[in-house]
Amino acid sequence: MILPVLGLVLGILLGMFFPVVIPVAYAKLFSVALLASLDSVFGGLRAAAADRFTNAVFITGFFSNALLAAFLVFIGDRLGIDLYYVALLTFGFRIFKNLAGLRRYFLRSDSQKVE
Amino acid sequence: MKHIHKGSWSIACVCLVLGFMLAVQFRTTQDLKSNVSYQRIEEISERLLQTEKERDKLKEELNRMQKGEETDTSDAELKLRAGLAPVEGPGVIVRLDDSAMTSKAGENPNLYVIHDDDLLRVINELRAAGAEAISVNGQRLIGTSEIRCAGPTLSVNNVRSAAPYEIHAIGDKTTLENALRMRGGVAETLKVWGIQLDISVRDSVYVPAYKGSYKHEFAKPTEDKDEKEAKS
Repeated sequence: MILPVLGLVLGILLGMFFPVVIPVAYAKLFSVALLASLDSVFGGLRAAAADRFTNAVFITGFFSNALLAAFLVFIGDRLGIDLYYVALLTFGFRIFKNLAGLRRYFLRSDSQKVE
Repeated sequence: MKHIHKGSWSIACVCLVLGFMLAVQFRTTQDLKSNVSYQRIEEISERLLQTEKERDKLKEELNRMQKGEETDTSDAELKLRAGLAPVEGPGVIVRLDDSAMTSKAGENPNLYVIHDDDLLRVINELRAAGAEAISVNGQRLIGTSEIRCAGPTLSVNNVRSAAPYEIHAIGDKTTLENALRMRGGVAETLKVWGIQLDISVRDSVYVPAYKGSYKHEFAKPTEDKDEKEAKS
């Protein structure tokens, strides 16, 4: 559990000092991609907790989810279909579901320990 | 906690990327917010600068004019403003005539005759509608013109004339006409008394120059003063 947190902190520090700014036009796409990656990470954590974790699935899921989400929103923008909110809803929903699964898993394992 | 061992490294890597994205997004959002206010500041300061420039220019002009030095207004322009030059342009001609109704017994017959205030109301309305030059029966209205009853006639610029009265007004012809014909306006009120009011819109209306004399017996030019100062 230490390693992922370390990675997160390192990434945040890197991002803080890395001179990259997302253009305003792409801020929307980027935020959707971010949400997708957030979902992937929680999904990965949950899978790891449930011992169903596979490296390849996790890594490919992370990138393809983010890219696909951004791409879909981009296409939707061009077609006049606001897929942005759809993506927000879907990923938000999944993040909560993953979090709930994670919590339940930890609770269960804790109570087993107590027993 | 110890359950998560497998894939710990890959999760760490992905978390690194995620952290990076989070930070960039955070910074971008922050920039966006500050950017907007920055733009606003620039816009407002630009406007301030412009206004200050304008003010300085006007101040200079005021100074120059107070000194009486070369003003931009030429002789012809001044004459035009004072009503000393005949003018022509689009506008309206309003004909007012006494009422055709016969007054009922016991009623004041004066109500059916044109009075100075009827004429004044029409002229006031025309001026409010942006008329640039007005004449009544060939008498140009200027700053000192009077319109008052003089027996059965009206006196304008000390020249008397009887009904019908013809008012020539130059200005935006539709605005002038609408101002008079407005619901509840002058034309409607005068019609109640049967006073004949006839508005004709023309592309070219002639308004003559003021032909009277000027005399300034009492008024003398002086310095600019505040009214409060002047009283004491």
